[in-house]
Amino acid sequence: MNTCQAIQPQLSSYVDGHLTAEERRALDAHLETCSGCRGVLRDLERLRAAARQLGPIAPPDHVWLEVAGQVRLDEPGAGGGGRASAPRTAVRQWIGLAAALVLVTIGAFFLRVSPPASPPGNVPARDAVQAIADDLMLANQHYERAIAELDALSKTNGGALDPAIADLLRKNIAAADQAIAESRSAVTQSPESGPARESLMEALRRKVDVLQATVTLMNDMRRGDQAGAAESAAAISKKG
Amino acid sequence: MKRLVEGHADLALVARCRANSPGAFEELYRAYAPRLFGLACRLVGRGDAEDLLQEIFLTAHRKLGLYKGEAALGTWLFRLATNQCLDHLRSQRARLMQLVDTLDEEPGAVGSSAGAILGVVDRLDLERGLAGLPAGCRTVFVLHDIEGCEHKEIGELLGISDGTSKSQLHKARMRLRQMLGRTDGRES
Repeated sequence: MNTCQAIQPQLSSYVDGHLTAEERRALDAHLETCSGCRGVLRDLERLRAAARQLGPIAPPDHVWLEVAGQVRLDEPGAGGGGRASAPRTAVRQWIGLAAALVLVTIGAFFLRVSPPASPPGNVPARDAVQAIADDLMLANQHYERAIAELDALSKTNGGALDPAIADLLRKNIAAADQAIAESRSAVTQSPESGPARESLMEALRRKVDVLQATVTLMNDMRRGDQAGAAESAAAISKKG
Repeated sequence: MKRLVEGHADLALVARCRANSPGAFEELYRAYAPRLFGLACRLVGRGDAEDLLQEIFLTAHRKLGLYKGEAALGTWLFRLATNQCLDHLRSQRARLMQLVDTLDEEPGAVGSSAGAILGVVDRLDLERGLAGLPAGCRTVFVLHDIEGCEHKEIGELLGISDGTSKSQLHKARMRLRQMLGRTDGRES
């Protein structure tokens, strides 16, 4: 082993300032006479400086949505049975996104509206309906963002989120929303009407059904199960 | 004094998270996710980093009760994240120490002693080069050169000696030098 090979392992420590004064003097003496080792030293300094410039990386927005959905399920009384999800390293990110969306939606809907037949006596029915409407608006915003992300991710991954499917999803959600709006109007006009409240709850459940069917469809697509995907798409169409 | 103020703010944020105060956990996530996502991307690769980031924050949410303010919240989260990334690497690619040992025995890992071969190091080239390193020395490089950890701390995290950490760092740098170096060998 020549001198250069022997001292090279010390060059990193030299760059990091970890050599003793004696070691440093010996290395300096070698560097005075060896352009090769001076070059290596210069490269190590450049690499070290460049590495220090590598900063944080912003994660995609959907990661927070998924974390928030799971945290909500973990909260006491959320109905999620505690920690529900295993590590999803094998699951595609957009499947997780959609699943979390559904979970958030279910949490938002059913925690606020059940039991439907007996709202607390000191809460006016109009307020209860408004609370539901607020949750719906929030869920809709999440849903639109989710579809947009699915579009982007499917393009990134070279896959295809069929535009017709995306349109169908939006159409079915719109139909479910219309049913909810009509039922809500009925509840607002007749707050004491049991059938009106039941109708609203049914409309809400239908919307959640659509979202759940959407997740099933996405799983089929992920697995490349064309027959299953067609079946799921048909089911979504019926739910609309 | 600064640490005292930050420590108080950290504890207050954790207390709000534990009380399920609206927006508190999102505030924590927004403050620390970019650094931890960068760490995860560089240690385990972009493909697994998103799932891992979720796991890191879900674990943090469950363990917030264990945070007593001895270290900065960012440091506590960084250690938690690093350990989860290392667990992932161990489960995915056998044991990290085996990778370290393998690298030690590789011939030619030290590389050329010719003069300087690097010009300005492009950030994207460096990220790509990192991804091509063996997990063992990549981990040491990320923790030391990017995250600023000391060899002693790295040794504790990885279960290796300070000397091995230094050795792996040097090998990682020399490999990157080879990967990023110009082929004509001109000194710049």
